[in-house]
Amino acid sequence: MTNHRRFENSAEHHEVSALIPWYVNDTLEDHQRERVDSHASACALCRDDLRVHTRIFEGIGAQPALHYMPVASLKRLQARLDAVQAQGDSAQMAPLEPVRSESPWRGWIAASIAAMAVAIGLLAADRWVQFEARGEQANYHTVTSAAPRPRDEVIRAVFAPTITLVQLQSLLDEAQLKIVSGPTEAGVYSLASNSTLTVRSSLALLRQHATVRFAEATAPEPDSGNAP
Amino acid sequence: MNLLAKNSPKERDNALLVAVAAGDRRALEELYLSYHRRLARFLSRFTPRYENIEEIINDTFMVVWQSAKDFRNASQVSTWIIGIAYRTALKSFRRQKNHNVAVSLEDYPEQTVDPTSDAEVNDWLTHGLRRLPVEQRLTLELAYHMGHSLEEIAVITDCPVGTVKARMFHAREKLRQYLPSLGGGPSDLPARIG
Repeated sequence: MTNHRRFENSAEHHEVSALIPWYVNDTLEDHQRERVDSHASACALCRDDLRVHTRIFEGIGAQPALHYMPVASLKRLQARLDAVQAQGDSAQMAPLEPVRSESPWRGWIAASIAAMAVAIGLLAADRWVQFEARGEQANYHTVTSAAPRPRDEVIRAVFAPTITLVQLQSLLDEAQLKIVSGPTEAGVYSLASNSTLTVRSSLALLRQHATVRFAEATAPEPDSGNAP
Repeated sequence: MNLLAKNSPKERDNALLVAVAAGDRRALEELYLSYHRRLARFLSRFTPRYENIEEIINDTFMVVWQSAKDFRNASQVSTWIIGIAYRTALKSFRRQKNHNVAVSLEDYPEQTVDPTSDAEVNDWLTHGLRRLPVEQRLTLELAYHMGHSLEEIAVITDCPVGTVKARMFHAREKLRQYLPSLGGGPSDLPARIG
């Protein structure tokens, strides 16, 4: 018992005891292994610990392997990588930070760039003045800018998104209208008259239908003064 | 890219990681498939939920993909990857307060199985391990299932060797309490374990 306590309280015992898990998993250096062997031959506590941890080591190692489906997980990883890559590509389109240079010509280069920028600005201003003077329309439009209207448009209408093509055609036949443009981003159709039916009559026919969300004449008719 | 013909797993891992650093997605896939099972087993000590395990593995390989170029061969590729998985798992553990990792004895009913029976040892051991704090449990798993050395575990867990020893010491002490029959007197064990 005295011998047992002597070992238990010694620094050697604590140091060797701390190595036991790695003695058991066989990752100690040779000199460490010999140290454990030497100590354990005289220390019942460490021998006991070695047996216990050999059992735990074997028990953990013997636990059933898990069978997962790595290919399915990999597909999800690939999707994430694709998304990150797409983000990276769009980030590359962003303007780059100017590179700082210590060249003595830097001042001259900067001055030249400034002069070019001023020249480009003046040229752009000149072009803009000419453009305005000619009253030309830009060859682009924004969502909020008014799109040019077809020449023969008489009615603008918005239909329910659920309307089928057959229903739409039937509606237009009844009101004797035809589509000349649209739909715009807002879903607006430009309609032209397809007969001698007055715009007001066509409009009234359109407005009878629940699938017509909006319908307005775009130009006053000669007889519009008589309208209620 | 098929690097399976390389001489050893270490060489194969190194070659794959070099290719990953160069942006080779196929090399990443090969590395992923070769580590998935090992990581899944390791992480199952952390959480039994497969969706969590998969998320941690995929987060790990996102880091591998983004950081492969920074790998400087200071450790083995396997140690580096498992270290990333370990830290990712701990982050996930801290995020999920409602994880099912128990740290309280009250969470488990009293043992009714005989731990000295070989048929029950695995189940009993699983219960004992679940009662350990996550760092101690993963340290045991790294040593006893994955076979890592003390120094490798220090690298994986990004902490000093002394901390690994302390975690292992506390894990052993608790297991000794939880698994009293395994920790029985010297006369009791040799016949069963030897």
